[in-house]
Amino acid sequence: MKYVGKKIITMCLTLILVSFLVFLCFTVIPGDPALAKLGTEATPERVEALRKEMGLDRPFMVRYGDWLYSFVKGDMGESYSYGLPVKEMLADKVPITVTMSVMSILIIVAVSIPLGLYTAKHEGSVTDRVIYALNQVVMAVPAFFAGILITLLFGIVLKLFTPGGYISYNQSVAGFLGYMIFPSIAIALPKISMTVKLLRSGLIGEKKLDYTRTAYSRGNNTKGVLYKHVLKNAMLPIITFLGMTFTDIIAGSIIVEQVFGIPGMGRILLTSISNRDYPVVMAIIVCLAAAVIIINGLVDLVYQWIDPRIRLEGES
Amino acid sequence: MKRKKNFNLIIGTVLTGLMLLLIVTGLFFLPYDPETMDIELKFAGMSPAHPFGCDNYGRDVFTRVMVGARTTLLVALGTVGIGAGAGILIGAFTGYFGGWVDEVVMRIIDALFAFPSILLALVVISLLGNGKLGVISLLLGSGKYQVILALGIAFIPSFARVVRSEYLKQREMDYVKNARIMGCGHLRIMFVHILPNIMPVLIPTVMIGFNNAVLSEAGMSYLGIGVQPPDASLGRMLSEAQTYLFSQPSYALFPGLTIVLLVLGFSLLADGLEER
Repeated sequence: MKYVGKKIITMCLTLILVSFLVFLCFTVIPGDPALAKLGTEATPERVEALRKEMGLDRPFMVRYGDWLYSFVKGDMGESYSYGLPVKEMLADKVPITVTMSVMSILIIVAVSIPLGLYTAKHEGSVTDRVIYALNQVVMAVPAFFAGILITLLFGIVLKLFTPGGYISYNQSVAGFLGYMIFPSIAIALPKISMTVKLLRSGLIGEKKLDYTRTAYSRGNNTKGVLYKHVLKNAMLPIITFLGMTFTDIIAGSIIVEQVFGIPGMGRILLTSISNRDYPVVMAIIVCLAAAVIIINGLVDLVYQWIDPRIRLEGES
Repeated sequence: MKRKKNFNLIIGTVLTGLMLLLIVTGLFFLPYDPETMDIELKFAGMSPAHPFGCDNYGRDVFTRVMVGARTTLLVALGTVGIGAGAGILIGAFTGYFGGWVDEVVMRIIDALFAFPSILLALVVISLLGNGKLGVISLLLGSGKYQVILALGIAFIPSFARVVRSEYLKQREMDYVKNARIMGCGHLRIMFVHILPNIMPVLIPTVMIGFNNAVLSEAGMSYLGIGVQPPDASLGRMLSEAQTYLFSQPSYALFPGLTIVLLVLGFSLLADGLEER
């Protein structure tokens, strides 16, 4: 329990630090938000009045505390360009990005674990070598180019989906999920090859250890040893890797959204950056970073639950 | 036992060599002008005169790929230069001296780690684009140099982390104590004694970083936030080509394949060197 508590406290501290860094960057460096909001209609008096209204005349730390407090409460401020609450703007985008990330993770797990097991079991065979070569190539394909290739192959040649014909989940959940599969594959592909490579080398390493020989000598067959004993141990680094991959999946989703014309967090982030709509940019960045921190924290907790050695170390 | 041939190294060297040849040749000789438009040649197919065909303005795609690959290489080298340079400095000082500075810097680096590097680069770009940083913006222009700075800053945390953990290990070693007794200064120990010893870890990190930089640059240019016109860029060519995917798929394929080959060659080279 002590370990869990410690982990949660570190997580919260990191979250606060991240929010502080983001607030610092977007408050100290850019120009006057009041000026930006007024645009061409700015007169010194109006700017002064708006600064007072927006609370910009208060000390920095007070503003940060205020911003953080309302952020935690769910009030993320107001967009400069649209005048809408940021929360409202993001509310219907979050499910899109979440669906895409979850689907990618599922695809990665569903494809790479069987492939990793197969290649490790048939180490040195022709199939193993072919998969190894394919892995090397796939790893070099950027997610957005994979997206373009998928559009070309599945959309234009095989006509499995209409390129750019995004279906909102409000219209049809099945259509939405059917469309989201393709971008998810594009994000997952490079990660699959990395996971397979890692799992394969992990499994082969574990296969050489003494406990594997012991398991064989007790009369287990290959299948039993591989699935029951070796896989369990080889999965540990994979779990950490998948946690770290989450960062890349989020980054990938921002780009791949553009390939498939999906109006998710990525698009709104890009338009906000070009519009200098800082409250929106800040909110998205803090949300994404928070998601990464929380997921990685959870992965650490799961990890110590699976592997008691870490728990003992943490408590001693 | 016959020594196994290091295929990774061979293929990697050949691919990287070809790419470098393409890029270096492009410095002295280009088959066409990358900007000249010729509407007669719009979407001309592959031919001996235009091996990769022509784009929507009738520009030679092969020429543009050569120029784009050069831009990509420049950005990637600059990114790794800034990221590794600053990362080594930060990692060396925090890892070697430790103490509260180390704690603070590492907490910040940990926090920065929560951002995907491309997101971090987007933040830097959006901050650089602002008027208040006029001096820097003026120095950098708005094109590739801004991307280099943004990506370079975004890559610092990963380098700093690796370097720091190596310095933590190395500073306890006997040779460091020995050097100390001989009267070497801290700076000399850090950069003359320890730095060469962490090269086996640093070089693969730099090579992976280079590949990530290529991919990030392409991604950012694809989004339209990276390299700006008139500089040709592989990422932006892809985003332009995507519009014409129906009518002219080859326009998208060649710039994309160039990125893939560039990254593939380099990662095979890195793998091959590690195997040796």
